[in-house]
Amino acid sequence: MHATPTPPGPAALGRLGPALAAAGAALGLWYALARSGAVAPGLLPTPGQTVAALADGARDGTLAGDLAASLARAGQGFALGALLGSALGFATGHLPWLSAAVTPLVSFLRPIPAIALVPLATAWFGIGETAKRLLIAYAVLLAVWLYVHDGVSRVPVTHLRAARSLGAPLHRRFAEVLLPAAAPALLAALRYGASVALLALVAAELGGAEAGLAYRLQVDGQFLRVDRMFAGLLVLGVLGVAVDLLLAAAGRRFAHWGPS
Amino acid sequence: MSRPVRIEGLAVGYGGSRRRPAAPVLERTDLDLPAGSFTALLGPSGCGKSTVLGAVAGFVRPTAGRITVAGVPVTGPGPDRGLVFQQYALFPWRTARGNVEFALKRLGLRRAERRTRALAALAEVGLAEGAEKYPAQLSGGMQQRVALARALAAEPDVLLLDEPFGALDALTRSRMQELLRGLWQRTGLTVLFVTHDIDEALALAERVVVLGGSPGRVLADHAVPPGPPDPGLRELVAAHLAAG
Repeated sequence: MHATPTPPGPAALGRLGPALAAAGAALGLWYALARSGAVAPGLLPTPGQTVAALADGARDGTLAGDLAASLARAGQGFALGALLGSALGFATGHLPWLSAAVTPLVSFLRPIPAIALVPLATAWFGIGETAKRLLIAYAVLLAVWLYVHDGVSRVPVTHLRAARSLGAPLHRRFAEVLLPAAAPALLAALRYGASVALLALVAAELGGAEAGLAYRLQVDGQFLRVDRMFAGLLVLGVLGVAVDLLLAAAGRRFAHWGPS
Repeated sequence: MSRPVRIEGLAVGYGGSRRRPAAPVLERTDLDLPAGSFTALLGPSGCGKSTVLGAVAGFVRPTAGRITVAGVPVTGPGPDRGLVFQQYALFPWRTARGNVEFALKRLGLRRAERRTRALAALAEVGLAEGAEKYPAQLSGGMQQRVALARALAAEPDVLLLDEPFGALDALTRSRMQELLRGLWQRTGLTVLFVTHDIDEALALAERVVVLGGSPGRVLADHAVPPGPPDPGLRELVAAHLAAG
């Protein structure tokens, strides 16, 4: 039935409770393991050491620089890929003849992991920003296409027929029927696309970069700075969750009629 | 304004190709719907009654024959023929008023005028209270009221209904039938109503056309006299229906 947004307050806290408890337990286990000596010294930092490493990075400016480089890459790649993927998804979802032509090709390309394309992207475009942005855009395009295509092809035919019999011309049928009807799928596509952008970002930066969160992980790995690596992973995790929460909130705002 | 619909030699087949002729769904059918008449198309599922309606609406392409509304051939869907579906087909992202306003946009009204007219259209179907509710917040009967208001708001000449009350419970259905009868008497629209329910057809229409067989064809064509239900007529129509 109709989805009403849950007001923040005791109910939300009630749902957060178990999650907080589990996170606390994991943190405690991590601390105990790091302190127990079961892991070789230097290979597992405590939570405190991880936060200290994070603070170090924040103080000397590497964190800000890496974050800026990674966000610019992921953001630009995501924007390009999401735009093209949505456009293609709307086209193939709405036009069966186009879908028959394009879907087999895209279905073949989709399972090839983006990381497998890093050497090719480097060979074609060098190790500059273009290769990274295009790699991320490509991975996002395929992910977003799949969701949008599926969503658009499920738009009930009676909605489109009703609009036509009410005299709505093509541009109104797109803007006022197809677009809102597919909006829940579009927002799900963007959420999935954002997680794929993060995956592709790491793959692209590991292939060679001068700054970036994953690049920093590689450098820290070479110097066995496990505390810094933990800090970097923490940042990647927080980044992923933050982007997803942002898009989920947008979804509740713009697609309240969705099935979710 | 109401206009007559003329169906001449209409035949429909599905799935045809250059090598294989289409499987016939409907045999050559002639049907005249005078302006302002209320006709029920009655038949079992698969008899082609929805196909006739779809052809008049302009969504089903005939393999032979033609359909005219006041002499103008039907070539596709258009706002002169309003449509009400069994599945309501309301836009879930618009409120009841928003759904009606969608139909009014065609008329190029100012926003305030559109709103006033939409509220009036909803009041006419007895839904003044639920104007700002979304379809998911409305019962099936209320949703179908919105669908009726939306179809009428576009100011059609002909109203086409495809088993519109099939999903409703008996009590709601009889209320909706009453509402539709009243709307028809007030607007004088030409109405074509598809149903598989013999009592519904006899309760609503001035004329019941029985379709049956495979491919479908007209089995009988009965005028329904005004007044209380006639058991003799019901038996006759039932016999024709069974013969298909």
